[in-house]
Parts: sequence; C-alpha cells; structure tokens
Amino acid sequence: MIAYLLNLATLATVFGILAASLNLLIGYAGIFSIAHAVFFGIGAYTGAQLAILFIPDVLLACLAGGVLAGALSLCLALPALRVRGEYFVAASLGLQMMAVTLFSEAHSLTGGHGGLVGIPMPTLFGIDISEPATFLVFCLLVLGGVLLAIRMLMRGSFGRALMAIRDSESAAEAFGKDVPRLKTLAVGLGCTLAGVAGALFAFYMAFVNVESFTLEQSILVMAMVIIGGTATLAGPLVGVLLLLLLPAALSFLPFIPPTQIGAVQQLIYGGAMTLLMIFRPAGLAGQSTGRR
Amino acid sequence: MLDRRSLLATTLAAGAASLAAPRILRAQEGAYVVGTLFPMAGPNAEYGTIFTNGIQLAAEHLRAEGMLKRPVEIRAQDSLATPQGGAVGMTKLANVDKASYVMLGFTGVSKAAAPIGTRSKVMMINGGGVGPDLANLSPYFWNVIPLVNQEVQVLLPWLKQQNLSRIALIYVDDPLGNGILQQLKDGLPGAGGSLVGSFSIPPATQQFAAIAARVRDTRPDAVYFASYGAQQAQIIKQLRDNGVSQQILTYSAGSIPSVVGLPESDGLVFTSQASDWSAPDPLTQRFVTDWRARYNSDPTSYNQNYYNAMRLFGLLAQGLEKADKPVTGENLREELLRVRRFPMVGGEGSFEDQGTMSMPMQINRIQGGSFQKIA
Repeated sequence: MIAYLLNLATLATVFGILAASLNLLIGYAGIFSIAHAVFFGIGAYTGAQLAILFIPDVLLACLAGGVLAGALSLCLALPALRVRGEYFVAASLGLQMMAVTLFSEAHSLTGGHGGLVGIPMPTLFGIDISEPATFLVFCLLVLGGVLLAIRMLMRGSFGRALMAIRDSESAAEAFGKDVPRLKTLAVGLGCTLAGVAGALFAFYMAFVNVESFTLEQSILVMAMVIIGGTATLAGPLVGVLLLLLLPAALSFLPFIPPTQIGAVQQLIYGGAMTLLMIFRPAGLAGQSTGRR
Repeated sequence: MLDRRSLLATTLAAGAASLAAPRILRAQEGAYVVGTLFPMAGPNAEYGTIFTNGIQLAAEHLRAEGMLKRPVEIRAQDSLATPQGGAVGMTKLANVDKASYVMLGFTGVSKAAAPIGTRSKVMMINGGGVGPDLANLSPYFWNVIPLVNQEVQVLLPWLKQQNLSRIALIYVDDPLGNGILQQLKDGLPGAGGSLVGSFSIPPATQQFAAIAARVRDTRPDAVYFASYGAQQAQIIKQLRDNGVSQQILTYSAGSIPSVVGLPESDGLVFTSQASDWSAPDPLTQRFVTDWRARYNSDPTSYNQNYYNAMRLFGLLAQGLEKADKPVTGENLREELLRVRRFPMVGGEGSFEDQGTMSMPMQINRIQGGSFQKIA
C-alpha cells in the first residue's frame, strides 16, 4: 500500500508542477492554451533521450527539458501575440495537433508510437534516487521551488502586469505595459516549467510515448487548473488531487463487476465534477473575481 | 449550499477512503489474486469487455474442475488504454492487491506496466497486442498470442495460392503497422507478389476516402489493413463505399464483433491463431460449448487468448502446488520456463525465450456476420 501511495503522490506532484505552470498562463496571464501537453512532451522526450544516450541525471534532464520546452514555446508565443481569447484557443489547438503528428512521425527522436523504452533509473549527481520515496522527495522539492518562484513573481511587478493584461489587454497597453514582451515571457516561463514536469514524468514512467501528450492530456490539465481554481497557488494542486485521487479512490469500490468498473467510475466521476462546477464555479480554491 | 470547507472535506474523505479501503477489500482468505489491466471505459472499452469475458469463463472452469487448492480472485483495474493509466493500475495491482499474475493488453499500457511489474516480480501476460516490440519486453512479460510476424507468414502462401499478387497496405504508423509493412516487403517477393502501395495513417483518423482513392489507383489484387479499435470498421466501410471491391485482408484484430458484424466485412479474410471451434479436443469443445450457451454467439480470438491466459495461470499454479512451492510471480515464471508447452484452446502453446508463444495458425473468412476457417 505504501508503494502505491508513494506512486500516486509522485504522479500528483509531477502533475502539480504541470498544472501550476498552466495556471501561470490561464490564471495569471489569461492565455487559454490547450497545447500544454506539447511542452510536457518536449520535456519528457528531452529528459528521456538525455538519460538513455548520456546520463540519467534528473537535474540535468529537468534543465534540458525545461530549456528546450521554453525555447520552443515561441511556437505558442507568436500566435499569442497576434490573437486573443477563443482565437488563441484555436491557434493552440492547431499547435497541439501538429505536435502530436510530429511526436508520432519523428521516430529517431521520439520512437514514434512505440515510444522510448528502457529509460534508466534516475540519479542525482551520481547518487541513485530511484527509490520511490527518494524520487518523491526530489519531485516535492521541485514543486516547492516552482510554487515559490510563481508566488514571488506574481507578487512583483511582473505578476501585476500579467494580471493587468488578463483583465484588460488594451488598458494595460494604454498604461505603458509592453504586452508582447510580457506575454512572451509568461508563455516561455509556463512552458519551461511544463518541460521540467515532463522530464520528471519520463523518469517516473520509465517509458514515454505520444499517448501521454495528446489533446486529452492538455484538457485534463486545464480541467485540473479550472476545477481547483485559477490564479491561486493552491488551486491547481487541489485540482490535481481531485482529478487524480478520485478515480484512484473509486477503483477501491468493491461492488463493481470487472466489466462495468470503467463505466461506473466514469459516471460517478462525471457526476462529482458536474456538482462541483455547479456549487463552486470559481474552482475549489478559487475566489470570486472581486476578491482575487 | 456547500461551502468550500465541506467540499474540501469531501475531497479529503475520498482520499481517506482510498487509504481505508484495502481493509474492506482484503482478499478472500488465502485466495490467489490475479489482476486485469484493460480499458473498461471509453472508445476501447469493447476490448476490455471481450478480454474479461474470456478470463471469467476460464476462472469458472478452473473452479469447476477443482484445479487449485485455493480460490482465485480477479481484481480489475481500468487502464484507460493509456500508459499513465497502465502505470497507476499496475502499481495498485502489484502493491495493494498483491497480484502475482496480471493480464493486460494494448502496447502503450504494456510498456508502461512492464517496468513496474518487473520490479515487483509480477508475471504479466498479454493476449491482445501483437506488435513485434512486445517481444523481449521483460523477463516477466509473456505473450499468449502469436505476434504479428507469425500471422503474415501464414498468409503469404495462401495469397500465392489465390493468385493475389499485387497487395496494397494501409497501416497505422506504429510498431504493429511497421512490423506488418516490413513482413510484407520482405515476404511478398518470395510468394510471387509485390507490395504495390503502402499508406500510413494516424491511429485516431476516421476519414479514409482519400486513402481509398489512392489505393484504387494502385490497382491491387487485395488490400491489407493493419489497424485496431473503432478505426477498423471505418476503414472497411469507407473502402467499400469508395469503390474498392478487391479482397480485404487483415490480422487477428479482424475477429472483434464490430468488424465481424459489419455488412461490408463480408468476404474479409484474416489470420489468427488456430481457433477451429469444431476441433474435437475436449478443452476447445468445453470452451466453445459453454461460450455459446452463455453468449449465444461464437467466441472471438481475443476471448480465446484471455481464456488461455487465465488457464495458463491455473496450470502454472497447479504445478507449483504439486511441487509445494508458493504461488508468486517469480515461481510462476520459473514454472513456465520449466514446462514451456501447455495444452490450450486451439492447440498446444509453446513459449520461447523472447517472451513469445508459437501456436498453430489459421486463415478465416467473414461471411454473414460470423467467420469460418478456410485454411
């Protein structure tokens, strides 16, 4: 049981980093991206290839995954500068579709649909950290660092400027904010953190393929942020816990026959989510717009 | 009206329930726990049900025969057909349910579950995926289904015999599809044929009109498609709708009800492991008779595979009981390596070092909503 809980906690921590990084875009900058799984994937493939070909150092993998995802985030930032609202959602959807095709076709980099297998156990400065508890501690430290960085940034002028853009882009521009630069920075930072989460995910799974970076994954992460509560530090974490732990808890229900387990779980899960959105439209940890 | 605290309390209660539940769910005293890790919801749920039905029938037969000294308890996990779902499900089966033997399917799920099962020394059995990359996955990972290269080898002589020399291939661009592409490229010249066109498709695509037009242009004698899931029926239907009237060929995935029951599938030929339901051996006869009585239809190859997977557990555990050894994943593997050959529905299955199994094969034709062996 302990191993299972450690496993779930590690997965929740990795998705906590991912959701927090998307919250930076959606919650603070008002950039509704449904291509976040792409940058999660770039980080995962980068981390996996680094571990397979060179060294399975998790810190190096996180750095490499983050840097590459951040650099490639320009693919998302460029349309973000030109369009807003639902038009940006459509643009990010296009990027998501294109990236899935690239992940599937770039066999030498991603292994295609077969994916990358045999990712070595993670080390840190040559020390083996593959024990589930040790790896969880490392992931928690990364999550802590990410949350601290977001908190500091959002309380400073950068965060206030982002929130001003979110609330009214025209007004922010009229007050002299450099909107294109701020948006590019927000997208770059969010995608870098998604890349870090991806590298950790690759070590956690010891296998990556395109099925983990599809549109469904992007939507799941977005649901985590929205259900938890946007523009709050705790919101994405609450969303992650709910969306990952509720299905896990439902799998313990003893009265469901094996052939019906999926359908019953989905019904309960869907019902719970609907009720939640009715009673807490701003998300579990979210505040009303006026109090934010 | 619910407030934030009560909702948070609900969330915490769900977490607490997951902690407390193992006590409620403690395995029936002394039972052997075996796990299943299949998609049980969503577009691939059809497979989960097909696989599980075969396992349940085999478990009933084990019980009725009194084959084992202890009862067998089946614990199911929904893999969602995703690697992530596979990893979480496998961790629970290995660490919470303490399953020593887990039956799974789908390549992504298998690859994500294999490292976890290997670390926990859980015997993993695939009876669904046939991609060549499922060989040599782990010392604890075994296939009770011949992989696709064996299926193509069986088809080649039949193509020659039928004078079907110009073959066009539509394949999903994954290890399964690429495996079939390679087998056809290598094997067709030797059988007096040639691959006149090969068209790769993404796994989620549902529109094939353009592909059908390009296939028609190659003027093939037959069209082989290598796909799976809901996509299969769409390929067949749209090929026929777009004027491709040539012989359609596929591998064992063609045996699922959504393909067999499709009117456009009439005449479709697919390979599978031997599943001659009129074979006189008592094992096959009992399986077929009880299946027909319960489901009022013939079983599919997948029902057969997972029946065999569950039966294999019975045979291995029986061997361990006789040797007075505990039924653990490690011992089950040792027993399999010691015996190697097992009587199964469809014929004798022989396990090889790569984690693969060879078995008699056959060629089937779909006609009027069911399929018959033709070679």
